[in-house]
Amino acid sequence: MTTTSMDTMTAMPDAASDERVATKRRLPKLGVTFGVLWLGTLIFLAVFADFMPFIRGYGQSLDGATNTRFGPGIDFWFGSDTLGRDVFARCIYGARTSLTIASASILVGTVVGGTLGMVAGYFKGWVDRVISIFTDSLLALPAIIIASLLVGRFDVLADSDIKFLGFGFGWMSRTWSVTIVFSLLSIAPVARIVRAQTLSLSQREYVLAARSLGASTRRVLWREIVPNVIPALTAVIFTGIAILLAAEGGLAFLGYSVPRPPSWGSMIADDRDKIEEAWWTSIFPCFMLFFTVLAFNLIGDRLARRFDIREAAL
Amino acid sequence: MAGTGDAHMRPADDEVLLRVEKLLVEFPVGRTGLKVHAVSGISFDVEKGETLGLVGESGCGKSTTGRAVMQLPEPTSGSVMFEGQELTALNRSDMREARTHMQMIFQDPISSLNPRRKVRDIVLEPLNIWKRGTKDERQALVDKVLEDVGIDPQRAATSQAHEFSGGQCQRISIARALVLDPSLIICDEPVSALDVSVQAQVINLLEDLKERYGLTLIFIAHDLAVVKNISDRVAVMYLGKLCEVAGSDDLYRQPLHPYTNVLLASIPVPDPDAEPLAVEVVGEPPSPVLPPPGCRFHPRCPNAQERCTTEEPVMRELATRHFVACHFPMDGTAVPAQPA
Amino acid sequence: MRYLLQRFVQFLIVFVVVTFIVLAATRIGSSDPLRDLAGGQVNQERLEEVAADYPYLDKPLVIQYGYWMTDIVTGDWGYSYYQSQSVMDMFKQRAPATFFIVFWALVIGLLIALPVGIYSAYRRDRIFDKATSLSTFATISMPSLVVAVLLLYAVAARTDLFPTVGGSNYVAPWDNPYEHFKNFFLPALTLGVGIGGVWSRLLRADMVLTLQSDFVTLAKAKGISPMRILWVHALRASVLSLITSVALQLGALISGSIIAEQFFGPRGLGDRLVFAIQQNDLLTLQAIAVVIVAVVVVANLAVDLLYAVVDPRIRAARALT
Repeated sequence: MTTTSMDTMTAMPDAASDERVATKRRLPKLGVTFGVLWLGTLIFLAVFADFMPFIRGYGQSLDGATNTRFGPGIDFWFGSDTLGRDVFARCIYGARTSLTIASASILVGTVVGGTLGMVAGYFKGWVDRVISIFTDSLLALPAIIIASLLVGRFDVLADSDIKFLGFGFGWMSRTWSVTIVFSLLSIAPVARIVRAQTLSLSQREYVLAARSLGASTRRVLWREIVPNVIPALTAVIFTGIAILLAAEGGLAFLGYSVPRPPSWGSMIADDRDKIEEAWWTSIFPCFMLFFTVLAFNLIGDRLARRFDIREAAL
Repeated sequence: MAGTGDAHMRPADDEVLLRVEKLLVEFPVGRTGLKVHAVSGISFDVEKGETLGLVGESGCGKSTTGRAVMQLPEPTSGSVMFEGQELTALNRSDMREARTHMQMIFQDPISSLNPRRKVRDIVLEPLNIWKRGTKDERQALVDKVLEDVGIDPQRAATSQAHEFSGGQCQRISIARALVLDPSLIICDEPVSALDVSVQAQVINLLEDLKERYGLTLIFIAHDLAVVKNISDRVAVMYLGKLCEVAGSDDLYRQPLHPYTNVLLASIPVPDPDAEPLAVEVVGEPPSPVLPPPGCRFHPRCPNAQERCTTEEPVMRELATRHFVACHFPMDGTAVPAQPA
Repeated sequence: MRYLLQRFVQFLIVFVVVTFIVLAATRIGSSDPLRDLAGGQVNQERLEEVAADYPYLDKPLVIQYGYWMTDIVTGDWGYSYYQSQSVMDMFKQRAPATFFIVFWALVIGLLIALPVGIYSAYRRDRIFDKATSLSTFATISMPSLVVAVLLLYAVAARTDLFPTVGGSNYVAPWDNPYEHFKNFFLPALTLGVGIGGVWSRLLRADMVLTLQSDFVTLAKAKGISPMRILWVHALRASVLSLITSVALQLGALISGSIIAEQFFGPRGLGDRLVFAIQQNDLLTLQAIAVVIVAVVVVANLAVDLLYAVVDPRIRAARALT
């Protein structure tokens, strides 16, 4: 990039405010606003559900409503299900389950996958080759199949008295096993993206400059590479959560997710055959799932665009 | 021009700061088994306080040479003596230490600065790495160096690289190189990406700082015009080999290598009545993966003869301290053929 | 050529690693794979019978893998004691349903992606582009489970056109095309909508770049009609990334087919797989996994081959990422 274009670059934001660009920008911003509001509200409700007077328990039947179901109304916003449980409350508690699993998994995936990707991209050579074969293999695994298989096997493992290094597996609830499996599955995509990023970053001259200053490898990685990978990672995290939420739905449908408190997927799967008599029992969780995935995708997309634009400008 | 030999080397005495011998850098091409012969055994030396200009077309290996001196990456073979130390033999921690005595300035002013850090922190970083002095001393030194290169330390403390112009970024890179008080700075095309008006400012700054900080410079460029004023000595490179080494004035007054001649002739002259180019080079440099045999310049050389295709010319002194690796140099003094 | 050979070896390693992971996964928490294989609660005689057929089950996992993979490669895919059927027969019976779901999903996805992607790139930032970009974003955010429920609610429950929930059966298209359509439309649509959205966006992004390139300007200058430029010249340049995505999505589509089969029928491999996981029917499970992994790996290889044939420069660039 020449100086001329760089010098004009700094003045770009003002010059770019012609009408066309402005309208183009407003649309995704609207999306992000929706996404943030939706997620904010949802997370707030999910975290403080126990203290909210208008959120009932997810398990108990409503007084006098046993075995009856009724449609959405003023008292029961999303109606009640076959066992007389409040669908709205179950949706909120479902958010807690689904979001906890998805975000915990992506966190593990990001830390492990990010480290692997960075090491592969920075050191190249045989380290890269070994890590790449590992991530390629994880990527080639049919995700939903291996997930249901593993969760199913973990159930058996938790019930058995098998010990590994002296530890039993009784603690392995569904929440744990789904999180473990999802963590495993989110390693490879993160590693791939981070590797590509690191490969291009390590060619930058500021990395060479840092090395010529005598910075240790650890310092170069931490100070020069990591800060520049993180923007891309935030986009990956949001998009990743969206994907995991959807995957959780599929897993629940096959009967391998968390039944209690119910995840959205479990609610949809359990009540789908009653769709003709009581559409609200499955349609509302569907909407919750859809809007939440949408919210994460919108934010992720926005972040990706923003940092791509930034990368391109540099 | 595939010049080998070391006739141009000066005796390795105390005056010589850097002495590079038979430097060889090769990169594998993918996993094909082929190699890029980026630098094919060149030798040169730099005396204290001297500025060596290293000139050649893009892809001739001049940047690679600069980086190989820094051992980034380490050269395939050859010797790099710096301040009496053999760099290629150093272990990792000694090498890190040695690098602080020589610094690099890169071509792309934007890419040389981490976009996510404050500019002042970038300049401070080397001092933090080496924990030189107290915190206050470091701050004071950074301020001083930033002022020396003409950057406002206040602004540097609050701004990131993209808020500065290309020329300013290059000044910042220079400041970063200077804080460790190095003896040698390798400038890898430091002005090629800059506007012509800014180029002169940066070059003047470098000359100025060279005096003030007692520096020795290696100034890499693809443009002889840029190198002319700043260099004491100029080495011309072609496809990983040296063609000609001479004092700056001698080289410009009487280029002896056909390639140097072409490079000089191609400097645009701001005179509409000037005669069109008398010499012309056809085509582009051959691939460094499969360099031509004999003199590497022969496929494009106007003077090339049968002999050039088989026998590689050796460096020889044609005038006082003016060395050329060519069988048929511009002054017509052909080398007698070696008895086979 | 060397490059392709390298990729081939790489994929072979991936194939072995992945299938080994599957084999190992089936053994988690299982103290007696022999009993799993024999069908759970069976008598001693049966166990001994099975042990005679599969003598390697008490060997270390790596040895077991060797025996099993040899069997798979030589075409002896074993016997499912749960289904009282050989695994190969099961495949012959069930694979067509899965194949057609995936196939029609692909077709639907492309039928959405080609017009939407091309036209929205052509009329960039106009109303059609904005509307489709909004709706494709919605569809890629829609898990297939949600699509299935919505289809069920909006279409299946309201018309008699399609079989009721889970009631679809496998009908070959050559036997009765109409019945085939009725049985396969909803499951294929469930998967097709999502990937249609993905591909639309992909194709649009690629086409936008292509349409800015010099050869398109040249074509315009030569007076070639816009539709021809769009559908012939520009599409040819952009279609490569679409094909790549199609190949890479194949595995996800087959996996997705499990959900669609469970939801609407027709019952194909996915349905068998779900049972096999529940019962830990080792050989069935492993065989299905091997086939899916093989499809994924071969598709990847095919993409590499395609790149090698089409453009060595792109190939080199792809190798870098």
